[in-house]
Amino acid sequence: MSNDTARRDVDAAPPTPAPAARKPARAPLWANPRVGLVVLLIALVTLFSILRPAFLNTQLTLVPIQSDISVYLVVGLAQLMVLSLGHMNMAVGRMAATSAFAMGLAYDRLHTPLIVSLLLGLAVGALLGALAGLIISRTGVNSFVVTLALDFALVGLVTILYTQFTDGVAFADLPPGMDALRFDTFADYCMGNLCGPEIPLVVPFALVAALAVGCLFRYSRLGREILMTGSNVRAAELSGIPTRDRIVQAHALSGLVAGLAGFLLAANNGAFSASLGDQFLLPSFLAPVLGGTLLAGGAVSVLGTVLGATLTQVIYKGLNLLQFPLDQLQLYIGLVLLAALSLDRARHVIAERRGVRA
Amino acid sequence: MTAVLTPTPAPSAGRRLTRTPEFTLAVIAAAGFVALAIATGGNLLSAGTLGAFFRFLAVPIVIGLSQMVVLAVGQMNLSVGALTGFCAMASAWLMLEAGWPAPLAVLAALLLGLVVGLVNGALVVLTRINGFIVTLATMTIIQGLRYGVNGPDTFQGYSAGLRAFGRASVLGLPVVFLAALAVAVLVGLFFARTVPGRKLLASGGSPFAARLSGISNDRSLIVAHGLSGLLAGVAAVLTVAASGSVNASIGDDLLLPSFAAPIIGGVALVGGAVSVTGTCLAAFLVRLVDVMQAQFGINPRWIDLIIGAVVLGAVLLGTVRQKLLRRGSP
Amino acid sequence: MLTAENLIKTFPGVRALDGATLRLAPGTVHALLGENGAGKSTLVKVLTGVYRPDGGRIEWDGAELHLAGPLDAQRAGIGVVHQERNLIPAFSVAENISLHHLPHHGGLLDRARLRAEARRCLDLLHVDLDPDTRVADLSVAQGQLVEIAKALSLDSKVLLLDEPTASLTGDEAERLYAIVRRLRDAGQAVVLVSHKLEEVFAVADTVTVLRDGHSVAEARPLAEFTHSQIVDLMVGRAYASVALTERTVDATATPALRLDAISTALGHRDVSLSVRPGEILGLYGLIGAGRSELAKALLGLERITAGTLEVHGEPARIRNVGEALRRYRIGYVTENRKEEGLFLEQPVARNIAVTVWRRLARAGLVSDRAERAVVQTYVERLGIRLASSRQLAGQLSGGNQQKVSLAKWLAAECDILILDEPTVGIDVRTKAAFHELIAALASDGLALLLISSDLPEMVALADRVAVMSELRVVGELANDHDYPRMSQAIIRLIHLAEETESAA
Repeated sequence: MSNDTARRDVDAAPPTPAPAARKPARAPLWANPRVGLVVLLIALVTLFSILRPAFLNTQLTLVPIQSDISVYLVVGLAQLMVLSLGHMNMAVGRMAATSAFAMGLAYDRLHTPLIVSLLLGLAVGALLGALAGLIISRTGVNSFVVTLALDFALVGLVTILYTQFTDGVAFADLPPGMDALRFDTFADYCMGNLCGPEIPLVVPFALVAALAVGCLFRYSRLGREILMTGSNVRAAELSGIPTRDRIVQAHALSGLVAGLAGFLLAANNGAFSASLGDQFLLPSFLAPVLGGTLLAGGAVSVLGTVLGATLTQVIYKGLNLLQFPLDQLQLYIGLVLLAALSLDRARHVIAERRGVRA
Repeated sequence: MTAVLTPTPAPSAGRRLTRTPEFTLAVIAAAGFVALAIATGGNLLSAGTLGAFFRFLAVPIVIGLSQMVVLAVGQMNLSVGALTGFCAMASAWLMLEAGWPAPLAVLAALLLGLVVGLVNGALVVLTRINGFIVTLATMTIIQGLRYGVNGPDTFQGYSAGLRAFGRASVLGLPVVFLAALAVAVLVGLFFARTVPGRKLLASGGSPFAARLSGISNDRSLIVAHGLSGLLAGVAAVLTVAASGSVNASIGDDLLLPSFAAPIIGGVALVGGAVSVTGTCLAAFLVRLVDVMQAQFGINPRWIDLIIGAVVLGAVLLGTVRQKLLRRGSP
Repeated sequence: MLTAENLIKTFPGVRALDGATLRLAPGTVHALLGENGAGKSTLVKVLTGVYRPDGGRIEWDGAELHLAGPLDAQRAGIGVVHQERNLIPAFSVAENISLHHLPHHGGLLDRARLRAEARRCLDLLHVDLDPDTRVADLSVAQGQLVEIAKALSLDSKVLLLDEPTASLTGDEAERLYAIVRRLRDAGQAVVLVSHKLEEVFAVADTVTVLRDGHSVAEARPLAEFTHSQIVDLMVGRAYASVALTERTVDATATPALRLDAISTALGHRDVSLSVRPGEILGLYGLIGAGRSELAKALLGLERITAGTLEVHGEPARIRNVGEALRRYRIGYVTENRKEEGLFLEQPVARNIAVTVWRRLARAGLVSDRAERAVVQTYVERLGIRLASSRQLAGQLSGGNQQKVSLAKWLAAECDILILDEPTVGIDVRTKAAFHELIAALASDGLALLLISSDLPEMVALADRVAVMSELRVVGELANDHDYPRMSQAIIRLIHLAEETESAA
């Protein structure tokens, strides 16, 4: 490598300060997006508690809010599964409804126990998701359009199925155990004198789901390959990743998790009905987006989704207690989303100006 | 020495016409219409039925155009439905509660749509957040506002003149439908002949090249959203006129059709292209399918299923055509 | 006229321009020469306002010019035609030409004036093209002419042409040269950025040579130089074959990769090549020869319609990249690292480990520690300079990025490696290091297929050179590493092929 012309060592850090060549300063706490959410959360809880002490009442607020958070966390996780690819699932609600239908039907006709019904429903959800994934990967059509069309089709299907198989819009009979899921908390189960905490029985489902999704993306090969596919599908293909399979798998998992969300909502409501999941679309994006997951793909944050779901439910509950009319809540959630995203953008811009990696 | 350059020999104008997706759509639409007319034993062509057919085609056309306009710059507007409802409620409120004459209330609806659209565009530009999320957020905000106008109650019995306009026909075709067609023509002219329209398409098609020519992509985005909102306002006016009564659920079922029409009509999601003819023909097709459902007593839910499948098919076709085109080019 | 003096431009990790000077006079064709990574395209970007210089000044007729963006440069009269087309495909030729100032009557497009302006600019170039044609229907060469017409419409006095004949056929290039001469005669200053010496000597009057970001020859009349003197200036040393590790190739060994009369769905016909372990087979050709496409076909990305493929003597049917990698241990370092080779938004560690997760996984899970160990090995082995372990691939310099792109295949322990233009866009010093690396890989026993348009690189590294033209192999030469002789032989093969093509 000898040469007689004077050259600078171009690979060493040049004498003129170039910010990225120095080891980037540890991102200051305020630059971390998750911290902002936690701060906001604490602030809101404090505010609501002061304005309405009933906010801290266990029976009235704290228990129901955990159930709600569980449902909407899982809804957010369903969307997160495809956001990792840079895709969207516009049919999360209907996939949940169809899964729930399958669960209801299984018990109604086959009298299967709760767990089996649940698994059947999850399988149906996964199949629907896989269908979407197959169409997307084989045809190259935008995921928005495919899942939107699927959503449209499923709206029809769900109503038809319910009218065919039930006497209206819901199954009359529920599997044993659903009641417990609806009304009980761990405090209702005691071993001797020691009773569990005031945590609804649905919460563990959501926590397990969050942990599983988190582990999938953090540690598993499948999750990593999905993220790489989302980051650059061409490079992923050329690196030996079976991108088509990963797309199908991510969408299938999205459907599966949507099915779980449907189950949890049915448990909370006490019925498998055709209108399940009607309200899932906005929250499915809210939770991950508030939590810092980008629509572009390649990076996800399960912790952020948890915080995002918690934040939205806290706002709903708080405004509800303050007696804002139910339909107005949508308005404020929309405003919160805009505000949160704008603040995040501002934070990003400031961080960039200071040469800090946000 | 003149360098004579001939591009790949252009096929005759006639051949070129038949290859466009719009032509295929027109053929399908015509065939479907004839089939339906025959199937109903000519009933379809009676004054009342035909009138109803076209009357309820007006809003889907305008709503489809509203979405098409933002698709042209590669954006999406999820708030079109909610905005239509909000403008309709606001307009009815102005007539019934504030006693405004119909023309002023109509103008107010249009203005409201325009302003909200511009706000959408400004938000997308300022926050640099994906338009999908921004309009998802504004959609929920507007839904809240829409409900706030009159709660669960319905507005009815406003301006007799406006309602008469909504029921009137000229030569058998409802005036509202003709109004929608006029709007379609204007939108088409906007994109084909005006400078702002061309700049919009340039921004959508090749933002980098557009920037190099001094076109502000940000401005194009705001204009597109503003125009989309204005068209939602037009749809609102048509709804108020034709329906005779409005409530807070107006617009909820417009979101999917707003995408279905341009997509089936051949407009790509990536931006840079519009097809007014395609959008109108697609809206016509969807209406045909609706009428078929009513005529033959098919469960409407099956229709939704079919429409979902058709949208998918349309995009598939579009993608296939693009791939073939790319293979064929030098 | 236009003078750029002592321009300095730095990026993280690299000093792209280090005292580059360019002086232009009206009515001349000025060639801007330099190797890949010498700073040509950075200089063009500075002159057209895309980058702002960190030092030096730009003057127009003595007055200092501050270019805040591309529009400023346009207004100053500096026009540019980039390598990639920057036109609106759905619009007509006339609209594209006048896009910056569409003529109108109160908002409505004035079609007549639009056409007239397009006619005016096209006539200046003596080009006969219907202004109403859609740009999407034009060929690459025609699109280029439209862009030149557009620059004229903007009243450019200086026209920068960046590698204009990169995608043109011989005839189209000739037509372009004629237009360049016409522009010069009309008083324009045309800057031709190119690495094709034949082209430069055919058209240019004066030349500036860049090396390592500074000008080693400034605005000198071309007539003063011979080909080899220019090459010397560009390369910076009397061209001698670089001393690389001595290697011997076992001629009796079974080829690691053998193509026998391969035809593909893309049009390749009767391609036969073989590479033995420890051997470097160079694949040379001009643009459009189909080399990268052949490589992609080998990986299963395009259909092979005839012929046989053998890996280590066994017939192979490769259906996808995954199979190529895991079953046959073939790796492909892509030509286009930013779009196809790297995940720019992902950390370097992930970029390198992506091919080995399958091997590292236990029960489907990959431990961070195992990943880090593998990554560290290759970071050290290739000398990749990282500011932190979590740095994103997109933040590295070109040379380091290419090392990352290579590392993932080494980590996967491939024994057959296809390298597609491995040193494009890399500064000269890192390029030399890469050549050492490639030679070392071969002496370790890997079979390498080296696709390159860089003749000196080819002659330095390859044991044999196969020459491709128009999707066929037109000849194969044993390499004696003697640059003048080899480069002649290779170019002759290509010209021969082109003659037989046009004669056929």
